[in-house]
Formats: sequence, C-alpha cells, structure tokens
Amino acid sequence: MTKKVLLKYSAEKAKEPILASIIKETGTLMNILHAKFDAEGGEILLAIDAPDAEAKRVIELFEQNGIETKELKRAIQLDDEKCFDCGACLSLCPTGALRLTDDYSIELDEDKCIYCEICVPSCPVRALKVSKF
Amino acid sequence: MTKTKVNKSVAEINDRIRRGDAVVVTAEEMVKIVRERGEVEAAKEVDVVTTGTFGAMCSSGAWLNFGHADPPIKMQRVWLNDVEAYTGVAAVDAYIGAAQLSETRGFEYGGGHVIEDLIRGKEIEVRAIAYGTDCYPRKELETIVTKDDLNQAVLCNPRNAYQRYVAATNSRDETIYTYMGTLLPNYGNVTYSGSGALSPLHKDPNYETIGVGTRIFLGGAQGYIFWEGTQHAPTKAMGTIMTIGNLKEMSARYIRGVTIEKYGTSLYVGLGIPIPIINERVAKTTGISDEEIRTDLTDYGVPRRERPILKEVTYAELKSGRVEVGEKEVPVSPLSSLKQAREIAGTLKKWIDDKKFFLAQTVEGLSTDQVFKPIKQIAAAPLAKDLMIREVVTARPSDSITSAAKIFAKRNFDHLPIVDEKGKLVGIVTSWDIAVAVGTGKRRLSEILTSKVIVASENEPIDAIARKLETHGISGVPVVSTGGELRGILTSEDLSKLIGRRRR
Repeated sequence: MTKKVLLKYSAEKAKEPILASIIKETGTLMNILHAKFDAEGGEILLAIDAPDAEAKRVIELFEQNGIETKELKRAIQLDDEKCFDCGACLSLCPTGALRLTDDYSIELDEDKCIYCEICVPSCPVRALKVSKF
Repeated sequence: MTKTKVNKSVAEINDRIRRGDAVVVTAEEMVKIVRERGEVEAAKEVDVVTTGTFGAMCSSGAWLNFGHADPPIKMQRVWLNDVEAYTGVAAVDAYIGAAQLSETRGFEYGGGHVIEDLIRGKEIEVRAIAYGTDCYPRKELETIVTKDDLNQAVLCNPRNAYQRYVAATNSRDETIYTYMGTLLPNYGNVTYSGSGALSPLHKDPNYETIGVGTRIFLGGAQGYIFWEGTQHAPTKAMGTIMTIGNLKEMSARYIRGVTIEKYGTSLYVGLGIPIPIINERVAKTTGISDEEIRTDLTDYGVPRRERPILKEVTYAELKSGRVEVGEKEVPVSPLSSLKQAREIAGTLKKWIDDKKFFLAQTVEGLSTDQVFKPIKQIAAAPLAKDLMIREVVTARPSDSITSAAKIFAKRNFDHLPIVDEKGKLVGIVTSWDIAVAVGTGKRRLSEILTSKVIVASENEPIDAIARKLETHGISGVPVVSTGGELRGILTSEDLSKLIGRRRR
C-alpha cells in the first residue's frame, strides 16, 4: 500500500537536501506527486511505496530533520451512488487514477491520485470529492 | 427498395412476443450474429434487436400542468426551484427546459435538475407572477408541489438520440469548457458522445422501421417517437428524433440533471429503441459494428460554425480509450455512459421477453433527406482581419531597450510586438517592461520580451476575440497568420467602437 505523506518545510529547511539524503540513506523508492515552494518555505506531497515499517522509518527521518509530516488518508472519494459512469473525468486524469473497467464502469485507484482536482468540477453530478488534508 | 428474401411484419413479430417465442437480442449481440452468419440467416433467426444510449440531451424538457388556484392566475412567468419555465401558452401550462439555469444557483442547478427532482418525488417550490385579468385576477402565487400534484408531467424532447456525434479536441494553448466537456490544451484529450454499435438510430439509418409512433424505452418508462428531431440530418448520419413520455412513470436512474463545467445544465436521457428485424436489410444495419461507425475528430478550439476536422475516427478507436492526434496518443472521455447504454438495451430486451413491451407499427416515416441548414444571417459577423490595424510598429529581439523606449515615447501605445527577420511574432514588450528594464540595467529586448503571447488569427470572429480579452484581462492582441507571421493588431478600443455601433 502506497503511503502519501505531506512534508512541510520552513524557509530554512528548504535549503537543505533532506529528501535526497533520506533516499540515499534508506534506499526507499519515493515519488514526488506535488511540490510548492516560495520565500516562506513550502510543501512536498510524497508517495512512499514500501512496507509499513520502512515507510514509518522514512517519516521518522523527516521528523528528525525538522520537517513537519502528515500522512494523508482517503483524500479523494468517488460516490458510486451518484456516478453513472459517463467518463467525463477519464481523459482529464493525468495519472490514470480514474479508469474505465472492461464492463465500462469508472474505477478510482486512490494510490495513483495526485489531488490535482481537475476531475472534481468536470463531474456532471458532483460524484467526486476531495477532502482537504 | 429492392426485394428481400426475408419478410416479416411487425404484427407477426408481436404475435411471437405474445407466444413467448420471439428471439430478442441486443445490438451488441447482433453485431456478432451478423458477422458470423450473415444478414439473411440473422434476419431469419432474430426478431428484435434492442439498442440503447444514455447521453446529455440538452434539447429536452417537460410540459407541466399545475391546475388552477383559487382565485385563479394566468401565469405570466413561473419558476420551479428558481428555474424559469416557459408559460407563453394557456394559464397554468408551462414547459421546463433542461438547459435553463437557476436564477439563484447558476450552473449548479437547472431545468434538468428540476426534472430529476420531480421524478424522484421531491417537493418543488413554485412561484408565479401575472398581470391579472377579469377572469384570472390573481397576480402572485407561491406553493410547493410534487409530481403527484400535477395533472400532467410529460417529458417532451425536441431533439434526442443523435445517430452519432463528432468527437472533440482543442488546438488552443489553454483549457476550454464546452458542451463536449473540458478540453485540455494542445490536443491534450478527446471527448465524444454516443453509444456507437448500440446507438438506436445507427441501427436503422434508412428509417425502415423507426418512425412516428415507434414505441421506445424513455427514461425507464415506455415512450414514443412523435416526429423527426430538430436538426435531423439523416444524409450526414446525424439523424435525431422527437420523443415523448409520461414523466411520472420514469426513473431517476435513467433521467439525470447535470452540470457541464462552465457551460451550463443539461439532462442525461436514457433511451432505447427496439428494431423489428423485418428483412435482411434491417438485419444488416443492426449488425453495424463500432469499427464501421466513423465520425469526425473536430477542433473545438476554433469558435466557428464550421470547425476544422482533424481526421476521421471510428467508435472502436474512441471506445478503446486512446486516440492518436498528430504525433501523440491522447486519452478519451466518452461523455455518454456506455455502461448505462448497455443496461438500457438489456432492460428493453427483458421487457420484450417478459411480454411487457410490444412493438408499435409506425404511422408515418421520418425524413431520409432532410438537410440541417445554418441560420439566415442578414449581416456577416466581422472577423479580426476586417477590423485590425495593419500598420504596426514592430521591433526585433536584438534591438536595444533605448531604441524601443524612443518608439514608445514617440507614439501613443502600450504594446510593441517583437518579430524575427521573417516577420514571425516572437514576443511582446509593454511600456512597463521598458521602465523595469531601464531600472534594472537590461540592454536588449530579447532579455525582457514576453514570449507567451495571447494572439488572434485573421479569420477569428470579433466576438471570440472580445471573449479572449475579457477572460485574460488584456487590452489588445496581435493578429497572426497560420504560419505565425504578424498581420496586425487589435485593441479593446477598436472592439468597443464596433460594439457601440452595433448597439445603436
């Protein structure tokens, strides 16, 4: 199971290669889903694809380095009651998290979602919801 | 029409349905049967082919009759949940259109949603005003009704079930929001509508069995075709139908009010037509596959009536989820629900198998040669080339900041287009950029020019350019040829002069 962790950097910490050093130290595969920095610091949305214990250690290392971490859970939801499988969202999803199954149903793979939210207003019946972290 | 080997009447087929020995298959199943056994064998074996589609059909609405109040009112204007319905008919009749927007909730709620809420049995707020007459003295009315309180609630749709529709993409470098959904920049995605091999009108494109009086699946109930649809264009494989049915019997599973992002509201309508296999010609058309149904991939980035066609695609390609546009393969959105289309064809088949649905003999055919004409315009809409200033002062990227400053000093304008040696637009510099450049010690225009410029093309309608200026909050656009060469410039000042003239 992929863990998604939001890292909050202060302006000071943003100058240090913390992410790179943690990858180097642990050898864990991580993927940056989203990143935003300005003069006041910033945040990185990280996907850690590793067993629980290993992911936990990675998160601890960030904390030890002075990075605020927050694990994200169930951030996007597809309301199956409302959705009628029109597929308006499909071609807008940049990562293929929303896909069409063989029987033409819409399926949401949360692990792949990067919370770009482009699908949310495109849904004609408001069946997609992102709860903010 | 040539003679056929197999000949069955609708009455004979209905007899078989009644006896319980009619062979009913869905259009998807029929594709395989015709492919494997040929149309003559298929026509002998199969009696009815069921079809289905579940797409946005904006040209839909419902006739409602409220009954009379005491004292009575001749409704001059009426709103249902703040969505206005048309009342230019008798005192308490009104037509609620799917695309009409709520006056308080905008795009979030419209006529389509009112229709869905009525079907769901929800309470609807009704507000009416009138001028008052001797026979209808009342001037205002406010009440709450459900569908059970209405005398008639009849879904009555002027244009449904397009035989097929064009697929859409977008050449612009910005996202656009259309009735074909959200279209990403630079051909980033493709959208299409229609159920292809399940599409009702594509299964009998010669209208041998479909006509006035055909009984159909409409919104989960039994409805009827009562005329050709508006914009019916059978010769272009773009036939449409007018449909009617009792809204009170319909199901919200098959009638959904929707919002199309930054476009408006609409109604998804579930519709299926049973095709009686009266001969092998009809068997053959019911066997048409997704691979055989072609449509035009069209550039919605060009806001003209005749949008450029990029290529032809088949419904098989579209349903695969990816389509090649130029060099790249892009993702596809089906807009209409293929799952629901399949379900509708299956439900209709079950109704017939269960002897709950019998075929209706048509009382009149639908036109097979009707042409869809554009509106008659008495004045042509002006284009960029008609209004743009052609004598444009330009500079080169290698020119100095000082020389540009001199140009701005001499002439009264804000934008200096920068072109290369071939006259191609490479950027734009504003008087503000020059001021900043002087302050920061920059020397060449190439260091300060903005290369991402919003431009217009020579044949772009003025209305589209006005919208562009408004959306981007800019006061002018360079006009370029298809090759990117600068042809002129157009400012909001030029546009407001024209629009001022139009209003007079």
